[in-house]
Amino acid sequence: MPELSSGQRVGRESGRFLRCCGLTTTPPSPCVQPCCRPLCYEQSERRLHKSLQMKMEEMSLSGLDNSKLEAIAQEIYADLVEDSCLGFCFEVHRAVKCGYFFLDDTDPDSMKDFEIVDQPGLDIFGQVFNQWKSKECVCPNCSRSIAASRFAPHLEKCLGMGRNSSRIANRRIANSNNMNKSESDQEDNDDINDNDWSYGSEKKAKKRKSDKNPNSPRRSKSLKHKNGELSNSDPFKYNNSTGISYETLGPEELRSLLTTQCGVISEHTKKMCTRSLRCPQHTDEQRRTVRIYFLGPSAVLPEVESSLDNDSFDMTDSQALISRLQWDGSSDLSPSDSGSSKTSENQGWGLGTNSSESRKTKKKKSHLSLVGTASGLGSNKKKKPKPPAPPTPSIYDDIN
Amino acid sequence: MNKDAQMRAAINQKLIETGERERLKELLRAKLIECGWKDQLKAHCKEVIKEKGLEHVTVDDLVAEITPKGRETGFTMLRRLVLNSQGQAVLLPQPSRLLRL
Repeated sequence: MPELSSGQRVGRESGRFLRCCGLTTTPPSPCVQPCCRPLCYEQSERRLHKSLQMKMEEMSLSGLDNSKLEAIAQEIYADLVEDSCLGFCFEVHRAVKCGYFFLDDTDPDSMKDFEIVDQPGLDIFGQVFNQWKSKECVCPNCSRSIAASRFAPHLEKCLGMGRNSSRIANRRIANSNNMNKSESDQEDNDDINDNDWSYGSEKKAKKRKSDKNPNSPRRSKSLKHKNGELSNSDPFKYNNSTGISYETLGPEELRSLLTTQCGVISEHTKKMCTRSLRCPQHTDEQRRTVRIYFLGPSAVLPEVESSLDNDSFDMTDSQALISRLQWDGSSDLSPSDSGSSKTSENQGWGLGTNSSESRKTKKKKSHLSLVGTASGLGSNKKKKPKPPAPPTPSIYDDIN
Repeated sequence: MNKDAQMRAAINQKLIETGERERLKELLRAKLIECGWKDQLKAHCKEVIKEKGLEHVTVDDLVAEITPKGRETGFTMLRRLVLNSQGQAVLLPQPSRLLRL
């Protein structure tokens, strides 16, 4: 009977189905249900013994000794082996005739190609260990010789195109900008001074920051891209601190801001305070100073009790506006510095004077000198400086 | 002796009847494959076929060439398999055990 190579065999042997362990528990009958337990040798052996026992009970085995039994067993095994051989022959013959006998062989050429390499220093594929560590590549950008394993990161930084390199570059620029801010402001102011008054053009002259990464810390720096846009959220967005950079705001924005917020400009950050109108950090005087500074002497504090007389300041008003708009934010106008003197100087007469002075020099010393002169003129904090008002514009016209 | 022959026949019959013979055969085949007997034989087959030429191989040829060798090696394997069971687990039942009552 030809052997099947599958594990499960279905055959018929004297009327019984054989499957899995194939044993039936009932006496032979053609329609018996075969058991489905897996092939278990111990059981089969036991059954063999039992059957042999039964058989041998029939025939007297007294004459049989061990050697005979062994011989018989050997014969049985030999038969089995021969059966296996025969089965194997059939398999091979079928394979040859069907053409798949030699399929699992490789041709000798391939065998030679993929032969196992057994040389020192090489692995079995013939590759050198650590080959790429010592190899050096020449960077096409900077023409330096770089180790192969470090080549990719180097190229990323060299070309400035990777994710990390842009982040690092942005951070570096932000840091350098922080340090250079005061100087750059001066230069900016010079540029501004050269321009005619045009709020928009001045903003356009600045480098546009629209292409910057919105997540980089750079964003917190002065963003002067929106001209006169009334968006209070923008300054908030762009600043890490709680202040507003008043340079970026237009007149309408400032006005609306100042009606709702404290607005006092801090000296070190040059930003307007965003706290409420009654914030404890700044006094009302400071708030008024800021408002006057920004909105002209005609500005009225939202909560203020006293009101300034605005009639005499018409002349200086436009000047103030002009100069204020050209003002690029300096340390001169920090009320926290010299509170009273500042307020006094701002109160009366020309913001234009103040800003023009600072425009020229931009240093605290000049400011102080101005303060000195201012304090000479302006006397009281809250008094209406009406009397000195008319002459002052004439005095400072030359300077302007 | 007749009795022996009878005995042998009876045993054989019993084996077949109970299905033990099939099972033993399966077991033996599995063991022979495991120990590499089949691969040896296959290599031998390849040589024979290369000799004879692929187209003209017949079953008889193969049987005639391979069976003797297969039987020999099979026996060696068998003895090894059975003898391995000295004190340990039985790979194939020893003849005495096989026929033991």
